[in-house]
Amino acid sequence: MKLSVPKALAVKHSVFEKQVLANFAVSDEVRSVLPESGLVRGRIVRCCGDAAISLALSLCARASQQGSWLGVVGVEHLGISCAVEHGIALERVVFVHPPEASRDWSTTVAAAIDGFDLLIVAVPERLSIADARRVQARLASRRSVMIIVDTAVLSQNSFANNSHPFCADLLLDTKTKNWSGTNNGAGFLQHRQIEIKVSGRRVAREQRHLLTCSH
Amino acid sequence: MAAKTNNSACAVVHSQRVVSRSVQAKKFGVEVGMRRRQAQALCPDIEISSFQPDRDRRAFNTVVQAVSEIVPLIEVGEPGVIVFAARGPSRYFGGDAPMAEKLMQTLRSSIMTDSQFGVGVADGRLAAHISAHISAQTQTPFLVEPERTKPWLAGQSVRVLGEFAGIDRETISLLERLGLNLLQDVCKLGESVLAGRFGELGVELHRLARGDEQHPLAVVAPPPEQLCSRAFEEPIVDRQTLLNNVQTMADELSRYFAEHGAICVRLILVFASETGERCERLWYRPQGLTTASIVESAKWQIESWQIKAPISGLQLVADEVRTDTARQLKLWGGATQSDETAAQAVGRLTELLGSNSVQVVKWQGGRDLQDAYQFVSVLHSQGAHSEQVATQQKKFLAQSPQRPKSWRGSLPTPSPGVVFADPPEVRVVDKNQNLLGVSARHELSAEPAYLLMGRTKHKIVSWAGPWPIEEKWWDIARSRRLVRLQLVVEKSASPPDGSVAESSEVQAMLVALEHGQWSIVAIYG
Repeated sequence: MKLSVPKALAVKHSVFEKQVLANFAVSDEVRSVLPESGLVRGRIVRCCGDAAISLALSLCARASQQGSWLGVVGVEHLGISCAVEHGIALERVVFVHPPEASRDWSTTVAAAIDGFDLLIVAVPERLSIADARRVQARLASRRSVMIIVDTAVLSQNSFANNSHPFCADLLLDTKTKNWSGTNNGAGFLQHRQIEIKVSGRRVAREQRHLLTCSH
Repeated sequence: MAAKTNNSACAVVHSQRVVSRSVQAKKFGVEVGMRRRQAQALCPDIEISSFQPDRDRRAFNTVVQAVSEIVPLIEVGEPGVIVFAARGPSRYFGGDAPMAEKLMQTLRSSIMTDSQFGVGVADGRLAAHISAHISAQTQTPFLVEPERTKPWLAGQSVRVLGEFAGIDRETISLLERLGLNLLQDVCKLGESVLAGRFGELGVELHRLARGDEQHPLAVVAPPPEQLCSRAFEEPIVDRQTLLNNVQTMADELSRYFAEHGAICVRLILVFASETGERCERLWYRPQGLTTASIVESAKWQIESWQIKAPISGLQLVADEVRTDTARQLKLWGGATQSDETAAQAVGRLTELLGSNSVQVVKWQGGRDLQDAYQFVSVLHSQGAHSEQVATQQKKFLAQSPQRPKSWRGSLPTPSPGVVFADPPEVRVVDKNQNLLGVSARHELSAEPAYLLMGRTKHKIVSWAGPWPIEEKWWDIARSRRLVRLQLVVEKSASPPDGSVAESSEVQAMLVALEHGQWSIVAIYG
């Protein structure tokens, strides 16, 4: 027997489904920075600059508290105390150390995409564009969010801006303007002012935001 | 376990608690579950080693091999303990005493180091375990007659439950405070009273005190033949292929049991080689064997067999099956859909990369950034139980001590986002290009002005600190003395002629001075 679904119902259903898989919520601090005021499923966000890790963690924090799993793939030097202070639920974080080779790396990331809603990923330098595209396609079909972090230590940059294998939907370039709290030997680092440059495939016009945060 | 392989006092410590100790250490009063400090206080010369299940297994393999030459079907629950049904072997050797004697002789000849081991014969798992420990102290077999086992067990202290049956320390100490010092006291109370006070644990306590076996056998029809055995037309040489086969069979088997609401707690794994040799071993896990743990067991078994000939047959025999009570947890414990998919992904990732590349973190405390959290392999953290990662992980985190708001001597928050495992070396200098030093009172020799990183020079905008660490100064080998500074440096390198660079970008970092060498420990990224 063939069941025919009324058209109106089918439309309603698809609307409902979209609502169920809505954006991941983000904390109030970073909401203003994102164009869709949340992390849209199936997209790639790339954080670079000196506050990349901190920004990536604060993007994930709210969703992690709400029960999403976070996979950290290949990010070697992540400070765990920092993640805790951002509010990441540690019991739902899994650290994965993928192999360096391009093909193995993409297989690993694909497996991680299958299981985790959120991924914080460091991309190896020799990743081929074909593999990157395959990962991106998998990400779109599984509706997870991948956050790529480029950590540039001081002036050394790992990727030139154009040669990155992934074409990020959202590119957040961070620059620390100043830190407050220290005073020549006294005090300790407390607040900082970050300039975030928002660009990317899905952003019509480049925007700049100035953010003061305590991370 | 592995610690028992030498004759001095030693203990295996996991997250600051003793998980196992040698017989020598016991003479000093070191008990399982004690804090490391307490153990060291009781026995200052105690040798502490870290908890590494893989190492224990490798070390224990020789013992397993030696015993399996005498007794065909042995059960290895954890490294350090072998259990087998004694009736068959003892009939063969002419009684329990000759068999135990023979076993002692074999073990003595097969183990190189003068380790301490014991052979105990008793009716029931717990009683046998206790008697083996008594035997390890006296170096002679310790036999308890089957009909005398229960009265003998009744006279034991309740502490044996903590040591051999995995009951936690709090419960044991509560029992003692209630005046229940012997197992017979617990037994006398009655099951319903204990169940009323402790819930399911109470029933378990009463059962252990009675000396009954753990699980009544469930009536589940044996799984169909094609699930349990597989013959390869083309014998397999590659180990990974073989393990993949085990994996699929184990998957099917556990699915079969799951459908029938049962779990397999004891399994016989049989490998048959092309040349006609067989390797059988019994695997027991009271909480049920999952796919991951079956594969792990198969790996261990095939490694210890050391056979070169290709494998032509494989058989999984479910020896003991019971109804699955743990599954009830989900009704209120609540593993969500995303927990399940995550658990599956964890399983798949461990398959792809090996268990050491997939890790979770555990808080352990410490002043240093690297020390505060510890990475643990996923499989170790949950006893090879990949189905319930979420619940297990939650439990695991709950067991580890609560993270206090601040740890004395640790850095003020916020914490740096990038922490280097191998800190890059730098030089911190004052304005006259002299390397900065620290006095005995942790005072800096001058104000820091520049950070030299290789050839580049960064101007220090502001700084805070120093935060000193002096650790273990009583122990020359492990003592550490360092100071840490928070620096805010200009991101672009300042030109060598000293003119002011036009730059508004800064980067905060944590640098440390240890053994006269400055290094970047972490970056506020």
